[in-house]
Amino acid sequence: MAQPPPISASADPGASEVLYGLEQLLAIAGEQLGEEISSRTVRLYATEGLIDRPGKDGRRAVYGQRHLLQLLLIRSLARRGLSLSAISPHVASSDQELEQQLQQLDDTSLGTASPSITTPTTNDALTYLQNLQSRSGTDVKTDPSPSLLPLLGSPLSSRSPSLRASRMASRSSASSSRWHRFSLAPGVELHLSESASIPPPGSRREAWLQRLIDRLREQLDHPD
Amino acid sequence: MPSWHSPLTNLLTLPFPITMQPLLHVRSLRPAVAADSATTLDLLITIAAPAIAPELEARPRPPLNLALVIDRSGSMSGTQLSYARKAARFLAGELTERDRLAIVTFDDEVEVLVPSQPVSNPQLFINAINTIDCGGTTALFDGWLAGAMQVANHLDPAALNRVLLLSDGGANVGVVDSTEIASKVAGLSQRGISTSAFGIGSGFDEDLMGAMAGAGDGTLAHIESPAQLADLYASELDGLVRTLGKKVSLGIRAKRDVQLLDVINDFKLSSAGNWQLPNLRHGQELTIAARFKLPPWQPNREIVSLRLAWNQTGGKERLSFVEHITLPVMAAVELEGMEPDLVVIEQFELLLANRERSRAIEELDRGNLRAARALLEAIDQRLSLLPQTEAIQRERLLLEEKKALLDQDRNLSRKRLRRESLRSSMSVWEPDTDSNEGVL
Repeated sequence: MAQPPPISASADPGASEVLYGLEQLLAIAGEQLGEEISSRTVRLYATEGLIDRPGKDGRRAVYGQRHLLQLLLIRSLARRGLSLSAISPHVASSDQELEQQLQQLDDTSLGTASPSITTPTTNDALTYLQNLQSRSGTDVKTDPSPSLLPLLGSPLSSRSPSLRASRMASRSSASSSRWHRFSLAPGVELHLSESASIPPPGSRREAWLQRLIDRLREQLDHPD
Repeated sequence: MPSWHSPLTNLLTLPFPITMQPLLHVRSLRPAVAADSATTLDLLITIAAPAIAPELEARPRPPLNLALVIDRSGSMSGTQLSYARKAARFLAGELTERDRLAIVTFDDEVEVLVPSQPVSNPQLFINAINTIDCGGTTALFDGWLAGAMQVANHLDPAALNRVLLLSDGGANVGVVDSTEIASKVAGLSQRGISTSAFGIGSGFDEDLMGAMAGAGDGTLAHIESPAQLADLYASELDGLVRTLGKKVSLGIRAKRDVQLLDVINDFKLSSAGNWQLPNLRHGQELTIAARFKLPPWQPNREIVSLRLAWNQTGGKERLSFVEHITLPVMAAVELEGMEPDLVVIEQFELLLANRERSRAIEELDRGNLRAARALLEAIDQRLSLLPQTEAIQRERLLLEEKKALLDQDRNLSRKRLRRESLRSSMSVWEPDTDSNEGVL
C-alpha cells in the first residue's frame, strides 16, 4: 500500500514538527523496534492512556514525534515484560525525558542485560511449582496474571530475536487476552494465547504441528 | 526523602565462595557424668559460623535472585503501602546488575509488575513500584506462587534464590490453610528456593508467617511500624550475602543406653531424624540445648555423636562433619559438688522461656488470659533467680512488656509472643533498637 506523504503541522498549535499518519507511525516504529506493530496495538495504548490522543487533520488522525517516542518506549518496556499499568508512569514524562529513558534502555539492551540466563537442564523447583499451580484451582488462579505468562518463555526468546519478535507481536495484538500454559516435559512449557487459532484435528493440524517442530528445530540448531 | 544509606553498600564485595567451615562447640552443665548413678546431662551446643577472613573480603559476593511479593489488599492502606513502596525502591536501589529482582503484587488477583530480570536499571523497578495501590482481598498463596515462579525461572545454584513475602493480612482467597501452605513452601525450599515472610501492622497472621518462614528456610519478621521496612530489607540482604550454609541440619545420635529427653529449641525434625536449623550466617552463632538421660557410665565411653550438615552457598554438594562426645566419669556425690556452668543454665532458661511463650499463646487462644499471665509470671520468677546478666535482664523486660500488653492489646501481645517463641528455632529479625517500636 502506498503511504501518504507526511502532512505538515497545522492541527497542533505551536508545533512545526513533522506529523505522521497511522500507517507511517507503524512503519517507522516497526523499523526501529524490529517488530511489526499493528494499528490495534496503537489504538489499545491510546485507549489505555499510554499514548497521547492523536491530533486531527480533517477526519484523519495524525501523530507527532511525541507519539512515536511513547510508542517506542512502551514497546521497549513491554518487551522487558512490564505490564501496561507499570509502564504508564514512564510515558507521561516530557519529550526530553522520554528520549532519555529510551537512551538508557538502549544502553542496557535486552541482549546484554541478561547475559547468562542458563536454565538448568533439570529445574526441579520450576516443575514443582508448575504442579502446584495446576493443582491450585481451575479458575483465575491457574492463570494469575496475563502479564506473567508470556514472560516465562524469556530464556529461549533472549537467545532468539526472531522468535521473540513474533511472540511479542502476537502478544501485543492480544494484550488483553489470556494465556494457557502446558507443561510438556520437565523444564519445557508451551504458552498459548487464547486468541491463537489451532487448526482442527486432521491433516491441517498435522501440517501446523510440523511447522512448529521445524521452527523449534531451526531455533535450536541456529540460535543466532 | 530520608537517606536509606545502609551498610549493604560495603558488603557488595563480600567474599564468595567462602570455604570456611562452621565450628561446633559443646559444653555441659557439669564437666562429667556419674559412674554410680543415672545422670541427667544438659548439653549446650553452639554452632558458630566464623566471621569473614580479611583476605577474602575483596572477592565478589554471590548474586541474589529475588522476588519481592507485596500484599496490596484493601487492609494494606495509605501509610503502610507508601512505606512498602519506599522500602521496595530501597531494595531495588541496593541491588546490582549481577542480581535479579522480580516484583509481584497481589490482592484477590496476582500481578507480576516486573518479571525477574537483572537490576541494571533500578529506575525501571522504581517506576513500576510507584504504581502499586490498594486492591481487594488477600490471595496470599497465589502471590507467593507467582513470586516463586519468577525466581524458579532463573534458578541459579550459585546464587541465593529467595522469595520475600510482605503481607499485612491472613490468606483469605485461594489456598488458606497454613499447614498446607507451609508444606508447599517447604517443598520449594528443598528445591533450592527459600522464602522469608514479613508481617506488617496488626492484622497479619503471625502463625502463618512463622510457618512459612520456618518451612522456607528464610527469615521471619514482624514489623509493627512500616518505617522499619527499609532496615529490615537491609538486614535481609546483609544476611543473604553472609549466608555460609543453607538447609542446615543437626543429627543428634544418642549412643546405646543413652536417651535424648529433649531438644529445647523445638526445631522441626526431618524425615531422616535430623533437626532442621536456620541458615548459618558469617559472624553468627546458633545455640542449641539438648537434655539426655544416662545410666551409670563407664570412662571413655562415647555418649553422643553430633553430625552437622549444610549446603554451602554456591556449592552443589552437601557438606558435613561429625563430633563425638565423651565426658569424664566420677562418683555422683563428687559430681553434685561441682559448680554448674552458669552459661549453660542461662541459655537453657532463655530457650525454655521461648517455649513457655508458645504455651502462653495456647492459653490465650483458649481465652484463658489468667493462665497465660501466670505462665509469663512463672518464667520471670525462674529468671529472677539467675545472675542478672544483660541477656537475662533484657529477657525479663520483654516478658514484662508482654504481660502489660495482655490487657492493653491482646493481639499485639500474641504477635510479639509468637515472634519471640520462634527465636529458638529460626532466623527472626529483630530491630537494632527499640526506638522504632510503637503503634502505626
